[in-house]
Amino acid sequence: MSAVLAPLLGWSFAAAMASVPFLFPDPYLLAVLTSAGIFIIGAISLNLLLGYTGQLSLGHAAFFGLGAYASALATLGFDIAIGFGLRLRLDPQPVWVGFLSAVVVAGLFGWLLGRLAFRVRGAYFVIITICFAQVLRMVSLNWVELTQGPMALTGIPPFALWLPGQGVVELTSKPQTYWLVLGVAVLAFLIVRQIVRSRIGRALVALRENETLARSVGIRVTHYLVIATVVSAGIAGAAGSLFAHYVRIIDPDVFLFIYTVTMVIMVVTGGKGTLWGPVVGGLIFGLLPDMLRGAARPEAQWIAYGLAMILLVMFLPRGIVPAFTGLLAGRRARVVLPAAAAREAAE
Amino acid sequence: MLTRRTALLSGLALPALSRTGFAADPIRIGMTQPLTGAVAASGNYVANGAKIAVDVLNRAGGVMGRPIELVLEDNKSNPREAVAAVEKLVLRDKVPALIGAWSSTFTLAILPKLMEYKVPMVVETSSAARITTSGNPYVFRIAPTSEMEAIGFAELVGKYTPAIRKIDFLSVNNDFGRGATEKYGAILGAKGIPTGRVETMTPEATDLSAQLTALKQSDGDTLFITTGVEQLTLAMRQAIEQRVGKRIVSTGGSFPDALIHQPLPGGAHSDHVLFYAPWFPEKAIHPEIAKTYTEEWNKHGWEFAGLTEGFRGYDAVLTVAEAVRIAGKVEPEAIREAMWKVQIPGVNGNIHFQKEGPAGRESGQNQPNVYIVRLADGKTSLV
Amino acid sequence: MDQALQHLVNGTVLGGTYALLGIGLTLIFGVMRVVNFTHGELYAFGAYMAYGLVSLLGLNFYLSLLLAALLGAALGAVIERVLLRPLRGADIDSVMLAMIGAALVLQNASMWAWGGVAKLVPSPFDGMPLVFGPVSVLPLRLFVLGVAVALLLAFWFLLDRTRAGIAMRATFQDPETAALMGVRVAWVGTATFAIGSGLAAAAGALLGPVFMVSPTMGDLVGLKAFAIVILGGLGNLPGAVIGGFALGYVEEFGGGFLSTEYRDAFGFLLIILVLAIRPQGLVAAKERVG
Repeated sequence: MSAVLAPLLGWSFAAAMASVPFLFPDPYLLAVLTSAGIFIIGAISLNLLLGYTGQLSLGHAAFFGLGAYASALATLGFDIAIGFGLRLRLDPQPVWVGFLSAVVVAGLFGWLLGRLAFRVRGAYFVIITICFAQVLRMVSLNWVELTQGPMALTGIPPFALWLPGQGVVELTSKPQTYWLVLGVAVLAFLIVRQIVRSRIGRALVALRENETLARSVGIRVTHYLVIATVVSAGIAGAAGSLFAHYVRIIDPDVFLFIYTVTMVIMVVTGGKGTLWGPVVGGLIFGLLPDMLRGAARPEAQWIAYGLAMILLVMFLPRGIVPAFTGLLAGRRARVVLPAAAAREAAE
Repeated sequence: MLTRRTALLSGLALPALSRTGFAADPIRIGMTQPLTGAVAASGNYVANGAKIAVDVLNRAGGVMGRPIELVLEDNKSNPREAVAAVEKLVLRDKVPALIGAWSSTFTLAILPKLMEYKVPMVVETSSAARITTSGNPYVFRIAPTSEMEAIGFAELVGKYTPAIRKIDFLSVNNDFGRGATEKYGAILGAKGIPTGRVETMTPEATDLSAQLTALKQSDGDTLFITTGVEQLTLAMRQAIEQRVGKRIVSTGGSFPDALIHQPLPGGAHSDHVLFYAPWFPEKAIHPEIAKTYTEEWNKHGWEFAGLTEGFRGYDAVLTVAEAVRIAGKVEPEAIREAMWKVQIPGVNGNIHFQKEGPAGRESGQNQPNVYIVRLADGKTSLV
Repeated sequence: MDQALQHLVNGTVLGGTYALLGIGLTLIFGVMRVVNFTHGELYAFGAYMAYGLVSLLGLNFYLSLLLAALLGAALGAVIERVLLRPLRGADIDSVMLAMIGAALVLQNASMWAWGGVAKLVPSPFDGMPLVFGPVSVLPLRLFVLGVAVALLLAFWFLLDRTRAGIAMRATFQDPETAALMGVRVAWVGTATFAIGSGLAAAAGALLGPVFMVSPTMGDLVGLKAFAIVILGGLGNLPGAVIGGFALGYVEEFGGGFLSTEYRDAFGFLLIILVLAIRPQGLVAAKERVG
């Protein structure tokens, strides 16, 4: 898409999404969209890793879950023993502190995983990320003093936001939470876009395409991979925080493998390595389970979900957005300079 | 109580006799259960129990001359999906009352949504204490808490010879298992029976040899096992292999029915704390209701063992239907208020809610009955 | 001390089955570069086939085990033909997603077909344990260990001594050269996936009577199989055997002496530790970290 047209289309899409509560004031639709939106944010963050560095993290739910726990614990407060007779105590904090700590904690763990996991690539990387999420799940299950373990953290406060003229208000209505999630999604999108277009993004793509070559021209591969992981983890943590204050209960199941799979399928369906891919794929796979509800018996819904994954991967391996822009670019290429079209297709 | 029930049913049946089928709109009751995923077996049992309760009620004329319709949504053994299911039931299907959601975690996830949408829910299985003590006035629980169960067991503890002197625990690592360990330990402890060793297992674990070998080292004489049916069966079989050599008691309503067809070797026997003993419907508090339920279930050819869990769904539907009848209208708030007036016989026993939790925002808690069933050489008997 | 001996026996019995699980997965990765997310589901499939053949059709126990493994191999061949062959040359993540999708389909199809209630598979073995001094073990468990070891040996023989095995190993090391040397690489792919799947189904059929058979039994097993092959080094066959026994002992001793709560976490912690210190796995692989 051209430099003028793309942002225009993007902003009008965001505006259209923002007006949904006015046009379709159906609370169920908003609930489904809010829930999908939280996972779309997760998918946007995953895309930075999967799409732009080519590293498939199947432990992305770990950052999501860490963010959820960090945010919940910061807003609920805790008082735990940390050994040597010392205690660590935190009084309940406002929700925005929880949100920030979610980003920071997830980012820190992103740095840790990055340092550890980028010693390996490919299938090893995939499996180490799965193990990472599993270990966190076990810790959250068994560190009962901090996390309440399987008894779950309950009574998590809802979102609150400072609004001009109204002070701090709790956002409990459906449109309010919807707009908040939409706002964070737009922010996440812009952050990822900024990174992708920066020097970091170019370095990431260079090493995705040919790591050996990238190394030989002096790109500090691990350095850039770790930066990407930290940012990606931080955004996933933000999504986890939104999840915690939306569902208002967190238990070790936030680390479930199926959450990661949901985010991965969103990215791959939409088109990894494209900015709009996770949004398009996220809307499809965020709404699909709710559209399937009632359409068939429960097992059949899962089977349909699994088949949809297989068929998309087989017939649209690059995802919907590249297929679509490819089509568009192909038609315009006769009019526009071929080089520009190729560049756009690559984007 | 019996006559009241009969009167109610015949009273309801009369208007319906005059016509075939229902002309009126159905009354929808929402239910969410784990129908797929890790705990699907139990969720489907409970859902089946609810379905036959709806059949039975509709055959008797429904409620207020209107048929009952069960709207069942899968929560996929996952708290996020439990919330999604409830949003669908309340916002799209507009159900005035809910039943759910099997596991304590799923139920706890739903609780804030009940407050938000102001819809009452009958909790049929979850045992976590917090469900009724957190000040949620939309919660009405017919299932017993671990504490009630432990108290019920403690009353029968004198029947054991040789007497129970020291106990060990093997519990699944979740709310259910941890709750039972805590409450049974405390209540039997107050009776002068100390706790020896406590071991836990993840819900998916199949090889429990490490736990059982460790438990063997304790000098306790009785091992309490708290987990689902499947893991309970595994633990009992593996206890033989590891020669644990203790009396085994299971809690929480799980019954290892597979061991009826393939009994444990060596004449081992075990006791099981149940809330309905389908082998002895005549020993239930209301035998005729237990019989109807059991017969209906068997008519469908479902697994006999499912009866021990299916009654939860059956009783939950009876409870909601009665609350709707008392309310006289299909509105969530009226049904919520009517819940306090419910007083009906169920498969487990009498259903009636007592107030629990902070004043002004109390939740309802029923006082269910406990049966101890002994399993020896593939045969069951009531203790 | 008696406790430690019993843990040693339990760990060996457990490790044998883990080795069996790991070897099929590592073989498929080694030859085909596919991380097989359907491994756990094929394990469950094998267990259900054993249940169906023994309990419903009343076939002989040993014959049922063999048939279950063969049916698993057949299902594996179908998966390879329908899913993997068209995806040859696709990215690692496309293939993984297709396999995850297939796993979802398989698991829910078996829930649909068999219901969610766990089944017990009868076996001709007596349920009383054999007692050797302070330790005890079920005869059924010994049988499973024996078959696992026999399968591992037979498998080694196949790879090392037969033409098919040589073709597989050649493909394993260098698919392009193997193709030039006249190896039908596509056929090797189908055969490999079928054999790996057959091993997973055999493990399921063997363990079905030891544990219970349920639709979600493959979930934890799939994850554990990953742990085993990573411990040994992906694609490293002796490594998978060593990884299997290592995981069995770690879980058994860790669970018995440290904490049962973290029993299932030990394997994953071990992996992170191993990868931090020796990214190529416990057993040095010739190649590949990247």
